[in-house]
Amino acid sequence: MERIGHLLKWIVMIAVALISLLPIFWMVMGAFRPRQELFQYVSLEWHLFIPVEWTLQNFIDLFSDSSKPLGRFINNTLLVAVSVTLLSLLFNSMAAFAFSKLRFRGRGVVFAVFLSALVIPGEVTMVPTYLLVHAFGWIDSFRALIVPAAVSVFSIFLLVQFFADVPRELLEAGKIDGASWPGIYAKIVLPSMVPALITMGLITFLGQWDAYLWPLIVINDESKQMLQVAIATFTNLQATEWGKILAADTVASVPILILFLFLQKYYVQSIVNSGIKG
Amino acid sequence: MKMNSAFGKQEERAAWLFVLPAAISLALFTFYPMLNALTISFKEYSLINPEAVFVGLANYSGLLSDPKFINSLLHSFHFALVVIPVQTALALGLALLIYRSSWVTGLFRTIYFMPVVIAIGVASTLFKLIYNQDYGLLNSLLGFFGAGPVSFLSDPNLALYGIMLLGVWKSAGFFMIIFVAGLNGIPNDLYEAAEVDGATRAQKFVKITLPLLRRTLTFVIIITTMDALKIFVPVALVTGGGPADSTTTAVYYIYKIAFQQMEMGYGTAAAFILFVIVMCISIVQLRLLRTDVEY
Repeated sequence: MERIGHLLKWIVMIAVALISLLPIFWMVMGAFRPRQELFQYVSLEWHLFIPVEWTLQNFIDLFSDSSKPLGRFINNTLLVAVSVTLLSLLFNSMAAFAFSKLRFRGRGVVFAVFLSALVIPGEVTMVPTYLLVHAFGWIDSFRALIVPAAVSVFSIFLLVQFFADVPRELLEAGKIDGASWPGIYAKIVLPSMVPALITMGLITFLGQWDAYLWPLIVINDESKQMLQVAIATFTNLQATEWGKILAADTVASVPILILFLFLQKYYVQSIVNSGIKG
Repeated sequence: MKMNSAFGKQEERAAWLFVLPAAISLALFTFYPMLNALTISFKEYSLINPEAVFVGLANYSGLLSDPKFINSLLHSFHFALVVIPVQTALALGLALLIYRSSWVTGLFRTIYFMPVVIAIGVASTLFKLIYNQDYGLLNSLLGFFGAGPVSFLSDPNLALYGIMLLGVWKSAGFFMIIFVAGLNGIPNDLYEAAEVDGATRAQKFVKITLPLLRRTLTFVIIITTMDALKIFVPVALVTGGGPADSTTTAVYYIYKIAFQQMEMGYGTAAAFILFVIVMCISIVQLRLLRTDVEY
């Protein structure tokens, strides 16, 4: 009985692993296939997953197509995602530092007001924020993507939890040594928070890398488009462009998967924290 | 504490400066839009015709008798009612299989988590191909088991299930990790004590694991509910709301009204209705799942 249970457990574990991985594997392998092959091997056999004739043509097409240059979309997305990540790390950690470590009148009230923003959904504020960005003349500008995303209450909230572990005595020691508060923040607090900052940075970066709806609304100029929106437009092309779609999907995923494998510890930690403390 | 008042003043000024950038950003891009959304929802507002007309509650009453909006809400509810139990059970089941640390469970954890790392735009375009009736991976696999071919995306009775499958594939690993953290937070001596008392595995699960996991479970269910009711990207990319509007969910409908038909007042009012519904459901869930168990 025990043995059957054990066997069953392994069967389930491996089956779910296959379901998790097969679509990704099929995507990456499909990206290396010539067009006709994708439509040729459709029954369950070895060549459903492994190309017969390997080719880089899909990738070459993708990067050399001047009407939809994938390289530019990646650059756009990197620029926006890195800017948002750096700005949000700075602004959110500053606010979190003040809320968790500094004494000031009205702290509780201001923090409560901040937290109340957590229940305001983006779907409701979408139209007014669009109108605001429109009034600023930021439509078709990266500013529309970067500036509104630079502060996140969720990040501030999580960072406050992290900052709670930094003892205030450490800060007061710095104070007695004559450091200013910005000096203490930059020289004592930030260096001791590196793992937390990597975690938050990763969440922010991936959120931007995945962004779809907001770029779709505020960016109309195709040369300034973000990666996910650009990839989505590939599926609107003729249905036979599968190789290109799969290659674009692969290019957009493989760097992130590698990043994940290296920074897994921080990534998982971020979720665990959001779960326990959210 | 009586360091001196100049020190305290200096600290106070520094604190406000530290909070200032975030405060300005929140005021500008969250609180002001929220208030503005309320006024816009009472207007007939369109970018094409900038002369907004105040229409009172007309947008709201119009929505409540708009069958397309009601149907989009029903589709969101249908989606949520299937995804919440299935995805939560799957995530918890996987977590139970792999929560003890070893290199094998670590490997499986990583594998189960990989779909979470794939961007939703990528996953959606990929699944659109996987669901293809003639050449898609899913029908290749179904064919092997003697079933199909099934045309997942052109059958109005099936298309929403295609979106659900994609959603669960993409998100189960995320919640699995949260359950793993919850499971590892349960003190081991409780299980040991139960074993001494001769408890079976099932008894331990029902009497120890589930009650102590309740806070984690509450979090997972509430977040899953919110996400499910607001499902948008897979709908926009895989089915475009079709066939025959069978996958038009609430947020997709709001997007279409506000940004394709440019009826921004009507769209914002719809967003408010959805917001109130989601909020009420969350509050009810919090009440129902409230727990006094401490450990």
